[in-house]
Amino acid sequence: MTTSSPDQLDEFRAGVREWCRTHIPAQWRRAQTDVSDAEFVRFQQDWFQELRAAGFAVPHWPKQWGGGMSLAEQVVLYQELAAHDAPRLVLAFVSIHHAASTLLAAGTEEQRQRHLPAILNGEIWCQGFSEPGAGSDMAALQTTARRAGDGYVVNGQKLWASGAMHADWCLLLARTDPNAPKRHGISYFLLDMRTPGVDVRPIRQATGESHFCEIFLEDVTIPATRLVGPEHAGWRVAQQTLGAERGMTMLELAERLGNGGFRWLVRLCARPGPGGTRPLDDPLIGDRLATLEIELTGLRALCAELVANDHPGPADASIVKLYYSELLQRMTDFGTEVAGLAAHTELHKPRSSGWESGAWMLDFIGSWEWTIPGGTSEIQRTIIGERGLGLPREPTGH
Amino acid sequence: MSTRIEDLAELHHELRAVARDLLAKTAAESAVDWSLIARSGWLGLEAAAEFDGAEATFAEVAVILQELGRAAARSPYPAVAALGVGALNELEPGQDRDELLRDTVSGTTIPVLALPGEAAAAPFRLTRTPHGVLLDGTATFVPDAPTADRLLVPAIDSAGATVIVHIDARAAGMSVARQPVLDATRDFGSVVADSARPESMWRFHGDSDHALRRLHERAAVAVACDSLGLSEAMLDAAVAHAGVREQFGRKIGSFQAVKHACADMLVRVTVARKLVEAAVRSQTGDRADAAVTASMAKSYACAAAVDIAGKAMQLHGGMGYTWESGIHVYLKRATLNRSLFGSPAQHRRQLAERYSSIEYS
Ligand SMILES: Cc1cc2nc3c(=O)[nH]c(=O)nc-3n(C[C@H](O)[C@H](O)[C@H](O)COP(=O)(O)OP(=O)(O)OC[C@H]3O[C@@H](n4cnc5c(N)ncnc54)[C@H](O)[C@@H]3O)c2cc1C
Repeated sequence: MTTSSPDQLDEFRAGVREWCRTHIPAQWRRAQTDVSDAEFVRFQQDWFQELRAAGFAVPHWPKQWGGGMSLAEQVVLYQELAAHDAPRLVLAFVSIHHAASTLLAAGTEEQRQRHLPAILNGEIWCQGFSEPGAGSDMAALQTTARRAGDGYVVNGQKLWASGAMHADWCLLLARTDPNAPKRHGISYFLLDMRTPGVDVRPIRQATGESHFCEIFLEDVTIPATRLVGPEHAGWRVAQQTLGAERGMTMLELAERLGNGGFRWLVRLCARPGPGGTRPLDDPLIGDRLATLEIELTGLRALCAELVANDHPGPADASIVKLYYSELLQRMTDFGTEVAGLAAHTELHKPRSSGWESGAWMLDFIGSWEWTIPGGTSEIQRTIIGERGLGLPREPTGH
Repeated sequence: MSTRIEDLAELHHELRAVARDLLAKTAAESAVDWSLIARSGWLGLEAAAEFDGAEATFAEVAVILQELGRAAARSPYPAVAALGVGALNELEPGQDRDELLRDTVSGTTIPVLALPGEAAAAPFRLTRTPHGVLLDGTATFVPDAPTADRLLVPAIDSAGATVIVHIDARAAGMSVARQPVLDATRDFGSVVADSARPESMWRFHGDSDHALRRLHERAAVAVACDSLGLSEAMLDAAVAHAGVREQFGRKIGSFQAVKHACADMLVRVTVARKLVEAAVRSQTGDRADAAVTASMAKSYACAAAVDIAGKAMQLHGGMGYTWESGIHVYLKRATLNRSLFGSPAQHRRQLAERYSSIEYS
């Protein structure tokens, strides 16, 4: 529970509003359309430092590490950032959520001291869990880490690592005990991406951009001090990382979608079309908009509850992840339908925008960035059924 | 602040447990014993202490409403507690009104607000005649009108203001005809006034149109609570069945199509719960967003309940389609709820009217 009184919160909101008015780069959308990777990275780093100076970059972190905002304040912050169409910290997404929460929950004090301040200074992280033969069945991963002296030698291939081409560090899962049952022989490492033997190759994705990558690992040495949690106990640590992906990140995403994204959608529907009529004048459009507004309101309430709850239920994060991702899909699909052929002429969306940028067709294609990664919708439903409802487990098949 | 919320959560938990226990004792399709309800204090939850009430809020009434839905119980409780008492609390105090409120709380009388279950306008009129003031009009699908002994009739007086007419359900000029519906757990009646003589006419505190709108919102939220409760019951039933029934040598709940259907039901129930909670909260505090939250809860929770009860029928296989299984009771109740006090589409239309001038937060 938060202790911020309504008056304090109003004051906080006014402060954030004022900050947004004076700090969000004017015309950033235009400036971020059709830019090079280097320009995108520079923009992201500058924006991160801008937010950091105001105390807005990592509000969800503990106070001692530079965060410490109450939940109510975080909600207000994300509402205002969304309402003022602030750029998103897309490049730092894994660093400030996945990496930070993993280090806070399972890292050594030394690892935290080394990396948390560095993340605030712009260190970029990626996540190397998936492999060609290990997607939904992540525990089937084959990349090996062989103990050698006071380190490990890693060999294998990772797939779909988002942002790996820009990353300084990687959250890496590798098999340390090939003889143990699948989940029991995996260890969790912090991999310096500049280590010799690391080869990153971007992959072009459905939207045309190259955001995710293959990572080839050939005799890569990782010092033992970069092991997170005990050797062979990496599976449990990985659950923490995935929990962060499905939990904490949702607060901002829900406000973005429910506040910013919905605003785009209403504006789209209120704009007169070729015949002079507005889509909004069609009661069916009004009905579908209202359906989405209702669902978004439910989503925002669910997210706030999830994040506030110290002891969430075993499937709560999966419920929110599933619901968010499919609602994002329904909404961007609807936006694409309303925008008509014009949506197909927007060939690029501004970088640094969220999953709902107003370039509806690209947003719709981009919505699969949420229904596939971090456990597909099918996997989430299985988790919800088994852990949330206690239904009988899937037969394992071997 | 936080301790109050915890206290409330505990209070609701207890109230819920007591209600569930009590309702479980009633045989299917028979009405819950009214004197038992009265003795439980549920009728006076929202009444002031001077009327022997508990000075609680709509949030506590909502707990009972949800449990009635979960049990698919037959009872005029929603009509009396959500609407009757709700209306009485909105009226100017006076000896007659106070007396009626006290009798309602004690369970000795069953007053029903003649709010039509379908149309939103106040269909009754008062006219001044040489023989005095007379009441005319018709309201259909009034919940529990056949059980009522006293009627509270919203009517437009000669000055154009909405007042509440208090009248005996069997007074000359009044007639209440039962409107049979497929949902066997509900009683509806059409209320007709044909030159009836009001016993008393009571005014709302403040703006009467606002008060009437608030009563419509309460009605919508009350139905949403019922639908949420019955959705929970259907999800529980489906999950329990999927965990024991075996086919192809496996529990059917281990088949993904079945498991995923249950998971989707849980997601919808979870979202419905958040929307209903928000609507109940705004009712309790007379908040500015009460109309919006009511429409959201009503359209989402009531549409979801139909899908969930339908899915529960499907997942029970042939057994689910039998009369004996009782699932049809829930499906019918859910489907009726969906139409009662505004369809999902009607509520969404009200929401959509805001889009041309919406303010966001
Ligand atoms: C945009 C994007 C970004 C990503 N970023 C990262 C990243 O940064 N780091 C990282 O490690 N990974 C990342 N991933 C990988 C992602 O986590 C995997 O793609 C995902 O887990 C699915 O694995 P897969 O692609 O091998 O599909 P598969 O597992 O082969 O699944 C194919 C289909 O089969 C279904 N399926 C599989 N198993 C089951 C089952 N048991 N029950 C029911 N259905 C099943 C799936 O739901 C899916 O529909 C990213 C993926 C995408 C698309």
